[in-house]
Amino acid sequence: MLSYWRQYLAISPFYLVFLVFSFVPVFYSLYLSFQRYDGLGTKQFVGLQQFEFLWSDPVFWLSIRNTLLIWVLSTVPTLFGALVLATLLHSVRRFKGFYRIALYVPNVTSIVAVAIFFGAVFSNDFGLVNAILGTVGISPVPWLSNPWLIKVVIALLMTWMWTGYNMIIYLAGLQAIPQSVYEAAKMDGAGPIRTFFQITIPIMRPIILFTVVVSTINGLQSFSEPQVLFASNAANQNLGGPGQAGLTTLLYFYQSAFLDNDYGYGAAIVWAFFVLIIVLVVINWRIVQRGRKS
Amino acid sequence: MDLSRRGFLQAAVFTAAASGLTVACGGGSDSGGTKNGKNLTLWYWGGALSDKVVAEAKTHFKSQIKLTSSSIGGDFKQKLTTTLAAGGSSVPDITGIKGEDIASFLPNADRFLDLNDLGFKKISSQYLEWKTKLAQTEDGKQIGFPIDIGPTALFYRADQFEKAGLPSDPAKVAAEAKTWDDYFALGSELKKALPGTFLINNMGSVFSIAVGQGTTRFIDKDNHFIGDQDHIRAAWDHAIRAYTLGLDAKINDQSWNAAVGKSLTTEVGAAWHALDIESAAPATKGKWRVTATPGGPANQGGSYLTLPKQCRNPEEAFKIINWILSPDNNAKSFTDAAIFPASPETYAMPAMTGPDAFFGGQKIIEVFGPAAEAIPISYEAPADSAVMAPFMAELTSIEAKGKKPDDAWKDAVSQAKQIARRQGVN
Repeated sequence: MLSYWRQYLAISPFYLVFLVFSFVPVFYSLYLSFQRYDGLGTKQFVGLQQFEFLWSDPVFWLSIRNTLLIWVLSTVPTLFGALVLATLLHSVRRFKGFYRIALYVPNVTSIVAVAIFFGAVFSNDFGLVNAILGTVGISPVPWLSNPWLIKVVIALLMTWMWTGYNMIIYLAGLQAIPQSVYEAAKMDGAGPIRTFFQITIPIMRPIILFTVVVSTINGLQSFSEPQVLFASNAANQNLGGPGQAGLTTLLYFYQSAFLDNDYGYGAAIVWAFFVLIIVLVVINWRIVQRGRKS
Repeated sequence: MDLSRRGFLQAAVFTAAASGLTVACGGGSDSGGTKNGKNLTLWYWGGALSDKVVAEAKTHFKSQIKLTSSSIGGDFKQKLTTTLAAGGSSVPDITGIKGEDIASFLPNADRFLDLNDLGFKKISSQYLEWKTKLAQTEDGKQIGFPIDIGPTALFYRADQFEKAGLPSDPAKVAAEAKTWDDYFALGSELKKALPGTFLINNMGSVFSIAVGQGTTRFIDKDNHFIGDQDHIRAAWDHAIRAYTLGLDAKINDQSWNAAVGKSLTTEVGAAWHALDIESAAPATKGKWRVTATPGGPANQGGSYLTLPKQCRNPEEAFKIINWILSPDNNAKSFTDAAIFPASPETYAMPAMTGPDAFFGGQKIIEVFGPAAEAIPISYEAPADSAVMAPFMAELTSIEAKGKKPDDAWKDAVSQAKQIARRQGVN
């Protein structure tokens, strides 16, 4: 093993950085979740008390519900839209590069800029959407104060940002399907819709599962979207908007640890959330396994 | 598994270099006990101090001290906490702390120098007592030197008041809107005369000001939770009253900018709201007036300068902050950056006594000056803002979901109690 020291040396920067900036903090946060700590004073061991608080904290459960709802509301349209767009783009002959760039741009745009833009467009009283609805006689919709619509706006924002990214992945998958398979289907008399559901989708399955896993990880970590969207309310800026309808779990963690100086409780929140993500990952994994067997 | 001599040597050199690096990085602790450093660093955030006055301070102290200032963006408190916890030479010699954060730093007062030892005691009478007290520990250690304050007032559209047949002169409005109830009665008349207008932007603003008008908040000096008692309930009821009377515009997003001066005819807020109104509704110039806050003055915001205990030259650092925040320079800061001084002496200076064109030539210091001096001395516990958060959140629940006010109160109190317990309040 030692004879490979050059190779180990070559990859060591990554591991050293990972060790110092990721591995140690991760386990330090586990240690913190058993303490009461305000960030500067002395730590006080409190055992499982933080987790007991967590169990009986309605705001924590509210944040979990919000996170899961926003995740479903954003992931389903994102992946479906991406697949449709990729299929359309695959059959387009002209301006291919333009469409690809145009659809991918939202993903590389700063999330803060997009959130501010969405906040202005969906503003209750003076937003663009309500102005357009007004011209056709629909009364203003409270996009940023109704608890459901808040989630819809956040989900829409995430859909806007991630559809292009998933589309590029799907497009790569589509291009890898040999043309002969389609030709064979055509010979057998399958129309475009039937081809899509019986040829394209089954072949794309592993790629779809990959995007589902990535979207799960991204979608559950929504933080900047609600934080920026409701940042204008100085007194309440990290509470996730009216009725805390946009309070995601990571936002609640941020609020507890960094604003309320309760680092122990913040650590307990993220570790509980980690367990939840593990559960969802296992579910994903089971789906992958089943897909392979059939 | 064969290891050549050359390979071994190279590995050894690498390991040694790596450990040397670690030592070098870790070893940057306070070097020696000499407290007469010539290079001092100052941390503040954009708008906390007048950049002009800071630049003047640099030249004024040039012969003794090289002052380097950094305008720290983003989450200032978070960056300061991290730096203080890490210690070492990166800790600033002088740093700002926001008014809303000062209470949470008091339990760790040992991280800061006692300004009273450096001569603050002698000059403290120049600054508002209630502001000074908020940066003081129970045993009298002074960690913060007041920069500015945010005395509240009632801003209103005088022309709209006139149109509605209501008194529009500041003195008369003040007399008519002495208490919150009077103010809401006035607002009901205003709404009747001008349909589609509102009195307040949201309930949270009424609640936080009403709480600030008292001498006790959510936690008392003996570290007991008192957020379920009458004084908080009264503030809550004022907010609810505005809601049930239909005077609440329920604005919890950026649309405040578009609403103020149009559908929103009054605004209760700190002195710095004047600038916000001016930039959001420039077309309403000359139509606004200012008068006393219904129910008495409160404070919103306003910051401090502190000296972390790592400060390399406490004597000179104190001289610098004393110079920057002297009543004379405070007048300059007000002219340059609209920083409302914590030194009452400044209120009589020409920089502050001039008429304000946005307010139709009203001398607004005549409202804010007396308000600043009349703000009650109150006790703010370290966990105060954390415990207050659920009350604010539940008020938005009423506005957003139509939650019943009584249910919202019960939920707010039970959540606040839980947060208090988590934070070690009994």
